[in-house]
Amino acid sequence: MNEVEKILRKKKLEIDEIEVPEELETRLRAALKNRHSSKTIKGKWKIKVVAFLIAMMMIGYNVDTLAFYGKKLVGYDTLMSSNLKNLNELEKGQLIGKSYTFKNGEKITLDGIMLDDNQLLAFYTLQGLSENIDNVGSMSMEGIVGRHYMMGGQGEIDEKKKEVKWIMAFEPPYFFEKELRWTFTLTQGDKMEEGEIIFTLDRNKAMGHILKKEINKTIQVDESKIRFESILASPTTTVIKGTIQNIVELAKDQIIGERFRPDEIDIKLIANGKELLEQGSGMSTDMSGMKFDKEYEPLPTDLDKLQIQFVSFQADHDVHEKIKINKDEVNKSLKILGQNITINKVYEENGETYVTITTEESVLLSKVVLIIDGKKINLEETVLDEYDKRGDGRINHTRTLRFLGTGKDLQLDIHRIKYNKIYNQFIDIPMN
Amino acid sequence: MMVKKAKEGDKDALVQLIMAKKQEYYKLAYIYMKNKEDALDAMEDMIVIIYEKIHQLKKEDAFYSWSKTILVNCCKRLLRRKNKIISLDLVKEEVHEGGFEQKDQEIILEKYLSQLNEKHQEAIRLRYFLDLDYQTIADIVKIPLGTVKSRISIGLKKLKESLEVKSHE
Repeated sequence: MNEVEKILRKKKLEIDEIEVPEELETRLRAALKNRHSSKTIKGKWKIKVVAFLIAMMMIGYNVDTLAFYGKKLVGYDTLMSSNLKNLNELEKGQLIGKSYTFKNGEKITLDGIMLDDNQLLAFYTLQGLSENIDNVGSMSMEGIVGRHYMMGGQGEIDEKKKEVKWIMAFEPPYFFEKELRWTFTLTQGDKMEEGEIIFTLDRNKAMGHILKKEINKTIQVDESKIRFESILASPTTTVIKGTIQNIVELAKDQIIGERFRPDEIDIKLIANGKELLEQGSGMSTDMSGMKFDKEYEPLPTDLDKLQIQFVSFQADHDVHEKIKINKDEVNKSLKILGQNITINKVYEENGETYVTITTEESVLLSKVVLIIDGKKINLEETVLDEYDKRGDGRINHTRTLRFLGTGKDLQLDIHRIKYNKIYNQFIDIPMN
Repeated sequence: MMVKKAKEGDKDALVQLIMAKKQEYYKLAYIYMKNKEDALDAMEDMIVIIYEKIHQLKKEDAFYSWSKTILVNCCKRLLRRKNKIISLDLVKEEVHEGGFEQKDQEIILEKYLSQLNEKHQEAIRLRYFLDLDYQTIADIVKIPLGTVKSRISIGLKKLKESLEVKSHE
C-alpha cells in the first residue's frame, strides 16, 4: 500500500501548489450580478432548468415523452423519436405504472419500460416538483447479480413546471434476470433521500435484436491497429464495438517512454448509402485492452447495404525530435510523423524566449521543452492562439510558446505530438 | 454573522464567505475538473445555487460543508455534461503544450485512477489530494463515515493491483 500512497502523496504536493486564479473573485461577482434571490423573485430557477433540459435534448438520446394508455405509453410524444413512436404504436413497451412518493411530496412514477439487447429504456414521470427540476438522479437498475447503470437520457418539463417526463437508458439486464430494483435519489439542499421501485420484467415484451454480427476487421493506423469487433442493432439503437490493439504494449510503453495514446475515433455508420445519426460513444481501458463503442440510431427496416466508414483517428504519439532554432531564422518548416510544423519566429523579450509556431488545427506538441545552451527549460505557457482558415478549408493554428530564460544555442526538443489523421476507409458488413 | 447577511441576500457577504476559504473551494473544484477554466465554471455555478438556496440553510455553522456539497454536485453535473459533448473540438487545446518529466507518472496514476469506480476515485482524490479527513469527506459527499473508509480502502487496493500488474508486464 505504501507505494501507491507515496505516488498519491506526490500528486498532492502538486495540487498544494495550485494557486487560486486572480480572476476568481471577479468571476464569482459576475456570476451573481444579475441574480435575484429566490426569496424575492420566484421562478428564476425555472429558466435554468429549461436551459438544462434543452441542453440534454441536444446531446442526449433522440427520444420522445411517455405514460401508458391501454398498452401504449402516452404523454411522451414530443420526447420520442419517430422510431420509438413506431415501437410504441406496436405496443412494444411494457407497462409498469408503479410510483414512489418522497417525503417532500414529490412523486416519481415508472410508467413503463422498453427492453432490447442494447438497452433498457425507462419512461418515468416526476410530479409535484418543488424546487429543482433535476433533483432526482443517481439511478440504477439492480438485478440479482449486479447493477445496471444509467447511460443517459432526456427529459421534458410541462408548461406549468409541475411535471417532468424522462426517457432514461440503462444497461440491459442479463437474460436470466426477471425482477429489477430501480433505485434513485432525491437531493434537496444538503438532504438526500433514496427511493426504489421493484418491478418484474415481461420477457415477452423484450425486443432482442435485428442484426448481430461479428465484424472482425482490423485497420492499421500509424502505430497501432483498430479492430472493429461487432455490431449489434436492436429496435431502439445500433451499437458498434471495437478495441484498439496493442494496448498491453501501450501500457508497458507508458513506462518505457514509447507511447501512443488514442484520443478520438471518428466512425460513421452508413445504411443504404445514408449516414445514421450518432447518438453516443465511449472509450474505456482495462487490463484486457482499450475498448470503444459507438452508438447510432436504429437501422432502417428495408436495409440492403451497411457500411462502416472509419473517418479519422486522433492520438498522442511519442517522438524524439530536436530541432535547432535561432533568432534570425524565420518560417522554418519541418515535418514530424507526416505533420507540417512551421517555426515562424524566435525572439527574446524581458529575459524570456518566445517561439511562434504554426501547424494544422489538429496538431499539438503535447510535450515540448526548449534546450537553452544545453539546459532543458520547461514550457511556461502557450500564448496568442490564432486560427486562420486556408483556401482549401483547412485551418491553421498559430501560437507562441513561452520559455523562461534566454541563450545563444537553442534547440526545440519535441517529445510528443498529437494529431488527427484522416483515413476514410470503408468496411462492408455482409447482410447474410 | 456573514452567513446571516448572505441569507438576507447580501451578495458581497456571500462572495466574502467564499473568498475567505478560496483555496479550499478552488482545490476541491480543481480535483474534480482538472483544469482552471472548468474549476472556475463550477465555482460560478456553485455561487449562483448558494445564492438562490441559502435561505433554506437552517444551521448557519453548516455553511461551509453545505456549500462544498453544492460545489461537488456542480462539478459532477458539469462533468456529466462535458462527457456527453466531448469531441475533437474540445480535445484540441485542452492539453497545452509542455510538461515535465513527472507528467508521465501522473498520466499513469491518472489513468489507473480513472479506471476505478467513480465513487472510489472520488474518495481517494478527496483523501489524498486534499488531505481531507474521513468525516469531512462523509459530510461533503453525504455518505456515511464507514462508506468513506471502505471506498478508500477498496480504491487503494484496486489501484495497487493495477499498478502492480503494470510494473510486472
